Amino acid sequence: MEILSRKSINIKIKELKSDIGNIKDLELSIGKFSEEKWTEAEGPTPFPSITALREWDKKLLDRYKPFYLPFCDLCCLCTYGKCDLTGNKRGACGIHMSAQQSRTVLLASCIGAATHISHARELVTYAIKKFGTDYPLDPGGLAVEVEAPIIRLVCGVKPEKLGDLETVLDYLENQLTQLLSVTHTGQEGNNLDFESKVFHAGMIDQVGMEVADIAQISVFGFPKADPDAPLVDLGMSVVDTKKPVILVIGHNVPPAIQIIDYLKDKRLSEEVEVTGICCTAIDATRYSSKVKIIGPMSWQLRYIRSGIPDVIVVDEQCIRTDNLIEAEKIRAPFIATSEKNCLGLPDRTRDSADDIVADLVSRKNLGVLILDPEKVGEVAVKTARAVAPKRKKSRTSLSTEEIIEQAKTCNQCKMCRRSCPNDLHIPDSMKAAGKGNIGMIGDMYEECIGCARCEQACPETIPIHNIIVSAATQRTKNESFRIRAGRGAIQDIEIRKVGGPIVLGEIPGIVAFVGCSNYPKGGKEVAEMCIEFARRRYIVCTSGCAAMSAAMYKNEDGKTPYELFPGTFDAGGIVNVGSCVANSHIAGAAVKIASIFARRTLRGNYEEIADYVYNRVGAVGVAWGAMSQKAAAIASGFWRLGIPVVVGPHGTKYRRMLLGRADREQDWYVHDRRSGEKVYVGPVPEHLFFAAETKEEAMVMIAKLCMRPNDTSKGRAIKLTHYIDLHRRLFGTTPDDAHLFVRTLTDIPITMKEDLTKILREKGWKETIIPDPTLLVNQVEKRGVR
Amino acid sequence: MFDDIPVEVGLIHVGERIRKNDMYVEFGGPDIKEKFELVRVRKSDQVTDGKITVIGPDISAMDPQKKYPFGILIEIAGSQLEEDIEGVIERRIHEYCNYIEGFMHLNQRYDIWVRLSKKAFNKGFTSLSYVGKVLERLLKSELPIIESMQITFYTDAKEISLVYEEAKKAYETRDARARGLTDEEVEVFYGCALCQSFAPSHVCVITPQRYANCGAISWFDGRAAARIDPKGPIFSIEKGVCLDKEMGEYSGVNESAKKRSLGEVNRVYLYSAFKYPHTSCGCFEGIAFYIPEVEGFGTVMRGYRDVTVNGLPFSTMADSTAGGRQVDGFHGISLEYMRSPKFLASDGGFARIVWMPSDLKEQLRSFIPPDLFDKIATEKDVKTIEELKKFLADREHPVCDRWEETALTPSEEIALHGPVYSVGDLPITSAGFKIIFKNARIYADRVTIQPVKSKKPEKEK
Repeated sequence: MEILSRKSINIKIKELKSDIGNIKDLELSIGKFSEEKWTEAEGPTPFPSITALREWDKKLLDRYKPFYLPFCDLCCLCTYGKCDLTGNKRGACGIHMSAQQSRTVLLASCIGAATHISHARELVTYAIKKFGTDYPLDPGGLAVEVEAPIIRLVCGVKPEKLGDLETVLDYLENQLTQLLSVTHTGQEGNNLDFESKVFHAGMIDQVGMEVADIAQISVFGFPKADPDAPLVDLGMSVVDTKKPVILVIGHNVPPAIQIIDYLKDKRLSEEVEVTGICCTAIDATRYSSKVKIIGPMSWQLRYIRSGIPDVIVVDEQCIRTDNLIEAEKIRAPFIATSEKNCLGLPDRTRDSADDIVADLVSRKNLGVLILDPEKVGEVAVKTARAVAPKRKKSRTSLSTEEIIEQAKTCNQCKMCRRSCPNDLHIPDSMKAAGKGNIGMIGDMYEECIGCARCEQACPETIPIHNIIVSAATQRTKNESFRIRAGRGAIQDIEIRKVGGPIVLGEIPGIVAFVGCSNYPKGGKEVAEMCIEFARRRYIVCTSGCAAMSAAMYKNEDGKTPYELFPGTFDAGGIVNVGSCVANSHIAGAAVKIASIFARRTLRGNYEEIADYVYNRVGAVGVAWGAMSQKAAAIASGFWRLGIPVVVGPHGTKYRRMLLGRADREQDWYVHDRRSGEKVYVGPVPEHLFFAAETKEEAMVMIAKLCMRPNDTSKGRAIKLTHYIDLHRRLFGTTPDDAHLFVRTLTDIPITMKEDLTKILREKGWKETIIPDPTLLVNQVEKRGVR
Repeated sequence: MFDDIPVEVGLIHVGERIRKNDMYVEFGGPDIKEKFELVRVRKSDQVTDGKITVIGPDISAMDPQKKYPFGILIEIAGSQLEEDIEGVIERRIHEYCNYIEGFMHLNQRYDIWVRLSKKAFNKGFTSLSYVGKVLERLLKSELPIIESMQITFYTDAKEISLVYEEAKKAYETRDARARGLTDEEVEVFYGCALCQSFAPSHVCVITPQRYANCGAISWFDGRAAARIDPKGPIFSIEKGVCLDKEMGEYSGVNESAKKRSLGEVNRVYLYSAFKYPHTSCGCFEGIAFYIPEVEGFGTVMRGYRDVTVNGLPFSTMADSTAGGRQVDGFHGISLEYMRSPKFLASDGGFARIVWMPSDLKEQLRSFIPPDLFDKIATEKDVKTIEELKKFLADREHPVCDRWEETALTPSEEIALHGPVYSVGDLPITSAGFKIIFKNARIYADRVTIQPVKSKKPEKEK
C-alpha cells in the first residue's frame, strides 16, 4: 500500500464480511499520513486550540495584570459606533474599554501573525515548487539536532522535509481564522480572554516565523547556525554608484535571490550593485555577501531620494506605500513582486522579459507587477543596465544654498514639530537654517525616523525631510559599517556550552534586540545598548531592523559592534540571527535550554516548557523601535513563553502594558517542586511588558528583568551587581528595591556587601529559600510529592 | 569598600580586555620566564595581617610599555585553614584581579599574564599595593576563615627567582597529592546540586578519582566549597559502606542520590556506564558511548564537530545522554575523569575504549596504557562501524575477546515489512457481537502511524 507519500487517501468498502462483523459501504477518508519515527512522548497540547493554554495564560495574566493605555477612546469598528468608551461607559454592543483595548491588541497581533504566516506560506509554496516536498530541512547541519524547537513544542511534530511544513501551516491558518473571528462585534467580551487569545496569536506567529526561516535556510543555503557568518557592508556610502544599482525592499527574499542568481548566471555580479533595505536586505546577504545593506526601514525615503537606485524592486511588508511616487521623482523604474502588494500596477507576469524591460526603459510603464521571481530577476537586471547610463542620477537632494532658500520660506507655524513622532525641534532648526546655519537641522538626521510626516504637515510645502537629509550629507558620506550576516539558529552545542555558565550565573542573561526602527532618539541607542550588555558579558541577540541599527555605530578605532564582539551564542557575543522571521531562533534557543539541559520533552508540551523558561531562563526581549503589528505579535509570542519584553516609548501605543506589582507579596509565590510548598521568590521577573521612556531606563530594566526565581546564589549575585551598577551609573542612586531580590545572604554581591547589608537591615529583610520553582501544580505532583 | 582605590572595583569589569596599544605595563606573559601566583597557609605568627610589600620596582617606577617579571605571594593564617585550601584560594586571584578596572589577568599559576591600562595608570593606579588591598578585602570578605593575610609582589628579576622555585615545587607537590589520592582513602565525597537547577534529578558525585562531569570541580574544590559555604550548592556526602568495590557503589552515595533526586535515582555505580551509572547533567564535557557491534566504548568531547564512528555527532548523542537520567551506555564524563585510574574501571577502562577523536587521544597520550594506544581507532583510521570492526580485529584490541562469546545472540531488532495499517486493524474488538457498519464514514484530519517495535506478548488477564 503506497500511502506514505500521499497527501490524502480515500478507502471505500462496499461490503466486507468478517468474523467480527459485516461492514457495508464503509468510507474512510484520511487527510494525511505521516510516517513517524520520532519516539518522544507526546505532551498534552499538540496543535493547541485557541483555548488549550488558557489556564497557563491566566496564571501569567494574574501576575501581570493588563494596564490599559487607551490610544483612542472610541470604538468605530461597526455601524453602531462611534461609541464613546470613556469613564465606565460601555459601547452599543456592550463592550467595555478594557475589552476593547485588548480586542485591538488582538487585531494587531492577528495582522502581525497573518503577515508572518502568509510570508511563510509563500516561501514554502515557492520552495516546494522549486525543490519538491521531499527536500530535506536542514537548518544547522550536525550542530543542530533540535531542528525546529518551536514547531516541536507547539505542534508536536518533527518536520523533516519541506512538505512537513505544510501541515504546520494548515494548522496556523486555521487558528488565525478563528482568532480573527473573535474580534467580530458581539464575540468575546472579557478582556482577559482577549489577552489569552493575544498570547495564542503570538505563539502561532512564532511558529510561522520558524517555518519561514528554516524553509529558506534549507533551500537557499543560508548560513546554518554559523557563528562565523561573514561580515557584510552596510550603509549609504558603501554603494558603488558608478555601476547600475538595484534596490530591493521588503521581507520575502525570492525575487532578490533571483536577481543575484541572474547576475551570477550572466557573469554580471561585478557589473551591477544589489542593495537592500529592511529584511529582504538581511536575507539577501545571507545568500550572497556581495549584497549591500543600506539600512533599516527608515532609510527608504532618504535612499530613494538620494537618486542612487536605478531600479526599485519591492516585495512585501513594511514598504512605504508611496515608494512608487518617490521612484517616479527620481525616474527609477519600479517593480512590485507580491500578490499582497500590487499598488495598482499592470500585471506583466505572463509577458516576455524583454517586452517588460522595453516598456520600463521607455517609461511607457513607470512600474509593473511581476508575480514570478525568476522573471523579476531578469527584468530588474536588464532594466537597471539599460536605464543606468541614460538616467542621470537624478536626485532630489538640495545644495546648501537651496536649503537656506527653502528654510527662509518657513513661517514658523510649528505644524511640522507637532506632526513629528519624536517631537524634533524642526522650527528652531529651520530658523537657524534660514540664517545660514544648517548644522542644527543636519543633526536631526540621527534621530529622524524618516516618516516625512513633517512634509505632509507643512503649509508651505517645504521638503523638510529632504532638507534634513541634505544637510547631513557629510554623515551619509561616512555611512559605512559592517554587519554580520544572519547566522540562523543557535547550535545545540552552543546551548550545551552556555547552559552551565547560565546556571552558575557567569552569564547574567540573554538580551534580544528585535523589531523595527521607530526609535525615540535614533538607532544609535540600540548599538549602545548592545555594546553595554555584550561588554557586561550578557549574550546579545539581534534580528531584523534592530540588527541593522546595531551595526550603525563605530568606536574610536572605527570598529562596529559586530567587529568588536564575536557572533557566538556565548557571553559577550553579539549574535545576529537574521531577518524578522529569524528571531524565532532566539525563543527557540530558550526552549532548547529546557530540552537539552533538563531533557524536558518539547513535543506538544507547551505549558511545562513555558513554565520552565519563565522560571529559569533569564532572557529579555527588547523592541526599542517597535512599530508594526508584526512586532506586536512577536512580543506576544515571547510573553506566552514567559519572556519579558521591553519597548521604547512609542510602544505605549500598543495600548497596554503587562506590569507586575512588586508591592503585592501574595503575587510572587511559586510551588517548590521538591517539597510541594509555596515559596515567596520576590518579583522576578517583575514585568512582562514594559515601555521605557529612555535608553537609561530601558537598560536598568533589562538587567532587572533577567532575574529568575531559579537563579543560584552566584547567578543572583552577578545579576544583582549589574542591576545595581547600572542603576547607580545611569540614575546616580542605589535602587530602593534591591532587597527584594536577595533571598539568602550569599545572593549579595561581594563588592556591595556593606551597602546592601545595611539596606536589608533597614527594610526588615527576611531570609527565604531558593526553591525548584514552578507555577504548575502538576509539576509538583509529577515528582511524587504532595 | 574601595573608596581608597583610584579605579572602580566590581564584577562588571571582568570581561575587560586590554590591547597592546592601551596598556601601560605588562606583568608576566609569554615573553617572561619567571612569573607565578601562589597562596600558602602559614602559622599565625608568620603572617603580619594587612602587610603588603612590593619587592622590586613598583608601577610608578616602571618604564611604560615594558614587560616585567611578576610574582604574587599570598600568605594566610587561620585556625581552620588547611593546606588543601591553597589551590582553591589561588584560583580566586584570577577572578578578583579582573574585578579591578583597567587591570587584566589571564591564566593561572606559572602562566599568568597581566596588563595595566594607560587609563588606570592615569587615574592614579601607580602601585601594586592597590591590587594587594583589593585581593585582601575581597578574599577576607568571601572567606571569613582567613584570619590574617599578607601579600608580597615580586617584580625584581633577581629576587623573584628563589620564590619562583618555591612556587613550582608547591604546585608539583599539590598536583602529586591530588593525583595520588584515591577514593578508598577518603571518608567523604562531595555532591554538587548546581546543575539540579536545570536538570532536577541530576545527582553529581565528586570523588578524588571522579571529577564533576562539567570538569570544573575537583574533590578538593568540593571540600573547600562545602567548608566555606555549608548552605551552598556543594555539600558533603558521607560515603558510608562500600557495597561493591568494583562498581564503586557506596551506601552513603545511594542514600544521598535517593534524597536529592526525590527517589528518582536510588543506586549509583561510580565507575560503570551500565545499570546504575552516574547521572548525566547537561554540561558534561564529553560522552562515553557504547558501540554494541564491537562491545566497546567510543568517547567524544563537546567541541568535536563531525560525526563519530557510529554515525552520530556529539549533539545527537548528548540528547540521548542528558537530563539527569541514568542511561545505559550513554555516559556524560569530564576530561579529567578520563585521566583517572577509575575511568569506567568496572567496564574495563581503556581496554574497553575503541574509538576517540585524534586530538583527544593525543591529549590523553600519557594516560592511555602504551600497549593500547595504537589499538584505539580515531576518525583518521576508520569512518564506519565495519571499518572499526576490522581495525580492532587487525590490531587485536582486547574487546575482540568478547566477540566470540556472544556471537550467537540474535539481534533484538525485528524488521518490519508491508503495511502497518489494514482494515482488519479497525478497533472492532467486541467479540460475540455482530457489528454491521452501514454507510459508515470515518474521517481523520491526520493519521499518525508509528512503526511497531518488538511487541511483548500480552499477559492474560
